[in-house]
Amino acid sequence: MSKLQSINEFKALQGEQVTLRETDVPTIVIPAGTCGQASGANDLMRIAKRELLYKQLTDYIKLRITGCHGYCELEPSVLIEPYGTFYPKVTIDNMARIVGAVHKGEVLTDLLYTDPDTGERIEKQNDIPFFKNQMRSLLSRNEIIDPIRILDYIGAGGYSSFVKVLEEGNPRQVIEEIKASGLRGRGGAGFPTGRKWEFLANQKNGQTKYLVCNADEGDPGAYMDRSLLEGNPHSIIEGMLIGAYAAGATDGIIYVRNEYPLAIKHLIIAIRRVYDLGLLGENILGSGFSFNLDIAKGAGAFVCGEETALIKSIEGKMGEPRQRPPFPVERGINGKPTAINNVETWANIPVIIEHGAKKFEETGTANNSGTKIFSLVGKIQNTGLVEVPMGMTLKEIIFGIGGGSPGRGKIKAVQTGGPSGGCIPVANFPLPIDYDSLAQAGSIMGSGGMIVMDEHTCMVDVAKYYTRFLKDESCGKCFTCREGIQRMYELLDDISNGNATPDTLDLLKELALVIKDTTMCGLGQTAANPVLSTIKYFNNEYREHIYDKRCRSYVCKDLTGAPCHSACPLGTEAWRYVAHIARGEYEKAYRAIRETNPFPSVCARVCSHQCEEVCRAGLGGGEPVAIRALKRFVTDTIDPSSYKPVRKYDNGRPQKIAVVGSGPAGLTAAHYLSLKGYKVTVFEKEEQPGGMLSSGIPEYRLPRETLKKEIGSLIDENIDLKCNKAIGYDFTIDDVFERGYEAVFLAMGAHKSKLLDIEGEDLDGVYPAIEFLKSFNLRGQSLAKGRVGVIGGGDSAVDAARVSLREESVDSVTMLYRRSRSEMPALRHEIDAAIEEGVELVTMVSPVRIHSENGKLAGVDVVKNKPGDVDASGRKKPVPVPGSEYFIQFDTLIVTIGDTPDVEYIASMGIEVSKWGTLKIDETTLMTNRPGVFAGGDVVTGPNTVVDAIAHGKKAAVMIDRYVNGRELKQPEARRIPSVYVPPLEVTGEDAEDQENKRIELPTIPVYERKRSLAEVELTLMEEQALYEARRCLRCDLEFTSERIDV
Amino acid sequence: MITLKINGLPVTVDKGATLLEAIRFLGFHVPTLCHMEGLSPMGACRLCVVEIGNGNNNKLVSSCTYPAQEGLNVRTSSTRVMNARKMIIELLLATAPQSKTIQDIAAKYDVRRQRFRQRYESCILCGLCVRMCEEQMMAKAIGFRGRGDRRSIGTPFDSKSEKCRLCGGCLYVCPACELRCTYTEPDKAVCGGCANLSPPCLINYDDVMCYMDPCVACELPKE
Repeated sequence: MSKLQSINEFKALQGEQVTLRETDVPTIVIPAGTCGQASGANDLMRIAKRELLYKQLTDYIKLRITGCHGYCELEPSVLIEPYGTFYPKVTIDNMARIVGAVHKGEVLTDLLYTDPDTGERIEKQNDIPFFKNQMRSLLSRNEIIDPIRILDYIGAGGYSSFVKVLEEGNPRQVIEEIKASGLRGRGGAGFPTGRKWEFLANQKNGQTKYLVCNADEGDPGAYMDRSLLEGNPHSIIEGMLIGAYAAGATDGIIYVRNEYPLAIKHLIIAIRRVYDLGLLGENILGSGFSFNLDIAKGAGAFVCGEETALIKSIEGKMGEPRQRPPFPVERGINGKPTAINNVETWANIPVIIEHGAKKFEETGTANNSGTKIFSLVGKIQNTGLVEVPMGMTLKEIIFGIGGGSPGRGKIKAVQTGGPSGGCIPVANFPLPIDYDSLAQAGSIMGSGGMIVMDEHTCMVDVAKYYTRFLKDESCGKCFTCREGIQRMYELLDDISNGNATPDTLDLLKELALVIKDTTMCGLGQTAANPVLSTIKYFNNEYREHIYDKRCRSYVCKDLTGAPCHSACPLGTEAWRYVAHIARGEYEKAYRAIRETNPFPSVCARVCSHQCEEVCRAGLGGGEPVAIRALKRFVTDTIDPSSYKPVRKYDNGRPQKIAVVGSGPAGLTAAHYLSLKGYKVTVFEKEEQPGGMLSSGIPEYRLPRETLKKEIGSLIDENIDLKCNKAIGYDFTIDDVFERGYEAVFLAMGAHKSKLLDIEGEDLDGVYPAIEFLKSFNLRGQSLAKGRVGVIGGGDSAVDAARVSLREESVDSVTMLYRRSRSEMPALRHEIDAAIEEGVELVTMVSPVRIHSENGKLAGVDVVKNKPGDVDASGRKKPVPVPGSEYFIQFDTLIVTIGDTPDVEYIASMGIEVSKWGTLKIDETTLMTNRPGVFAGGDVVTGPNTVVDAIAHGKKAAVMIDRYVNGRELKQPEARRIPSVYVPPLEVTGEDAEDQENKRIELPTIPVYERKRSLAEVELTLMEEQALYEARRCLRCDLEFTSERIDV
Repeated sequence: MITLKINGLPVTVDKGATLLEAIRFLGFHVPTLCHMEGLSPMGACRLCVVEIGNGNNNKLVSSCTYPAQEGLNVRTSSTRVMNARKMIIELLLATAPQSKTIQDIAAKYDVRRQRFRQRYESCILCGLCVRMCEEQMMAKAIGFRGRGDRRSIGTPFDSKSEKCRLCGGCLYVCPACELRCTYTEPDKAVCGGCANLSPPCLINYDDVMCYMDPCVACELPKE
């Protein structure tokens, strides 16, 4: 290629290239930025080339290797132009198929993107929600050019903006144009670019003037600059050429971090080619304008992104900021005037010149024009780079484009602007994003990193992480920045490991504000943002760490211990019995379970297992240990007699205590009170004890034999069980006190079903779930027949559906739920089992009216829902689609949309009731407003899990004991840290590598045996299975129990 | 020539003068640790921060490095400055509690507690020695190394410098190692023996009302 001597020569070359591009030959586009290459784009390139050569298709199909397109989550991907067909996560095998399909003009439907909301396949890239809602004025250019081919760029219209400027020959006009566009620096501070150039143009200090491209992108989780440099280096060079022409600069430097090897490679190639063409150097295109461009590589110090430190680094000195004023535009590199702009700013310049300032200014909001690229990472479904107009709300970006949370964890906050930014809580997500609104919310735009956090993220830990980063990356010159950040880290460390006092938080805030005030450069002035913003928005998390010594996300190690242990409402040492199982010590395991839980066999079957939700083996894409199944294995293997509860009769006289309700809460309280020597009377309304355990939970989940045995083992000589005695009908609280009982524990449960509040609910054939389940479980009556509909998505809905299937005259069962399947609150394996057994699940529908025929149920009208706005719970609110109503025929309808306690009569006994119809108690003592009357379980919480009820029962026993003996009720919560050492098994290297580490599948009886049968569905694990599963445990406890060995 | 206002008083200085020079020209007291006449200003210790600007655009800057600008409004002892300065002193004390120089400043500013853990560092990285060595002794034997919490002062690779003439200039200027206060209980090293009274005027006003050194507890009329 020879040097172009004039503008006309350039135009001829461009015309030639543009014609070359305009063919309808299909092109396979493979994005191969760093992210693409890391996920296998290089392999795809090889396969594609081989296929094209072997099948001699090079004349019919073109291949283009480009930079990143932004959808990093689905890399390696392939785009087919000009059709826009998008294939995500392409494997080596599929690449060959794609080449074949492109040749035949076909679309491989099975490889297309699947919409997670609708389940539909989407062919075109621009129809995919991730791309559809963006405005990709910069990123879309990455798709159309091969970054190492300058002719590709020229053919796509590249350098024409520069040539246009050169032709017009009016530098001031260019500056006015940029000023009119309202472009603000994309590096984070948002200084108007046009004004910066104007300052530079007005400098009369000597002949040399510098332009710098700041590509020292160091924020954790931000990589939009890298993507632009890798995918479109010429746009930055063109932007700098325009800037140099406008401001009269003579030299340019691209300061890029050495950690970006691909970006450096593409830049070097690009600069060399531009020199070859004569677009850089002396007397460019014969216009008399000269500009030289060079690359300076930084060693990766975060502070070198600060402009004065960057200048020092370019000069070859230690990267330390200095006092501004004088600003770099007066005295910069080697004392010469210097203007520094960010990569994205430079990339915007050619776009503005090409389409005009007006068009750019129209995009975005007032004073914040144009688009901005954000890198959306963290706990988000669609990780990647998104380009949106300024002023789009966080909600639209995170839930609309990002697709919300990837798992079940609810999104809690987003961190913007990197280590100098702040955290914004989900409640503020309607916030439109621009420089000013973010600053107001206590964060900054920064370079545009967005790290999404869900409930498994601890905000104290987040603040600590960023503070540690800054502690290392501060240059150390200013005492307040160096020492202050270290001290902030020290204080945060104290908070996260439980050594903090209430004063710590005040000191931290005071210190943070002083650091913000007294440091010299932007790094120090913003270093306190992560701390201040988390304190502002997540003060309760800080307080929990300091006062309750608790980390709700189970992240802070010294407060959490083993997550399974601290997440269990009963404080069961799950790690301990799992460790014993792994060693084959089943009796020890049983004792570890029974020590804290009077209902081991029940919990082994129906526990909601919070322990598994927080299991560290299940984080980061793994699967949690099947703790409940292991508990089942132990309780089925070991005879309960191997555990003898400790009886401690330490109070002289045997006081009488009354317990109302014999569900898990009531029986647990009675059991523990009996162990302390109290005489307990349990009043039960039904004929048999057990509460919801016997009336709500069906037999195929919890065999009656097992339940009876477990209840029987708890009722001893100190406990008097009186069935068929209902409070409010047979006796009152006053009666109880009159008869000499010293305290009462109310645990009646929640047995009243909520109603849908639509017409026809009183029809024959329509049942509330509780009534339906009770009739079947307690009295063996089958109420359902024919076609059964179940409305709801919770555990009792699934129970009702599966019970219906087992009833004699039932033909089919359909569940109707208003949200999507992944949002159903029921236990996941229960939903799976229901579907396996033949329950039809219809989601995204709501019932509107019930139809009757001759006074009997005929069916329901339902309306289809579509996912709407995200509500406070972080879920998309179902919105009815007008006109989508349709009729479903039913003979039986079961309504299971929640239960409430039946407490009207209790209010008349002087007990306060909340507006939700539950009893009001003091959370820490369980006492109601009436002294001596305690309450717990569902009657307080509303419908809840068995394990929470047991926990309330245990606590009530302690509180009643303290109350009767006249001791202070309030007790500080103890930290649960593993204290018993169970030696780990030795794993040899080979075994460890062989391990697939898949979670065991729970054994069940075959589906055909379950019809009309009440046999227990789930089976006990085999011994080998249990041993395998127990050995998957990561043993979080060992860190606290074994002697630490310093390596 | 540049005219600016310091604590409400106009002062005219040469172009290129720093705020600290202007402040000291008027005789106001601003504490410093890393500043020394004859050495280039560095702005490391941040003790000399003053408040500049009007209304909502106020900010704190280090007066030793900030150039005097026409019409600038400078306040050397506002509440914001005093609070920041006290916190800086508390941090300095926690870092090098045994330095007599730092203790004197602490006493003067009525800093009587240390809420941070004490470190007993023998260096606060003020850089006086580095600048002394380079600018006055023309040796450049020592310099800064590392960044963040690993920043330190020394010779390259800690080997003996051929440039060093053992002149002792570095020791002479050091505020941390000169004049150790030999208190018997290092944990309670803020002895406060030479303490002054803290300016009582800050209770009623947003600025210190007079600049007598040491401050005399002035008799404000009781309301």
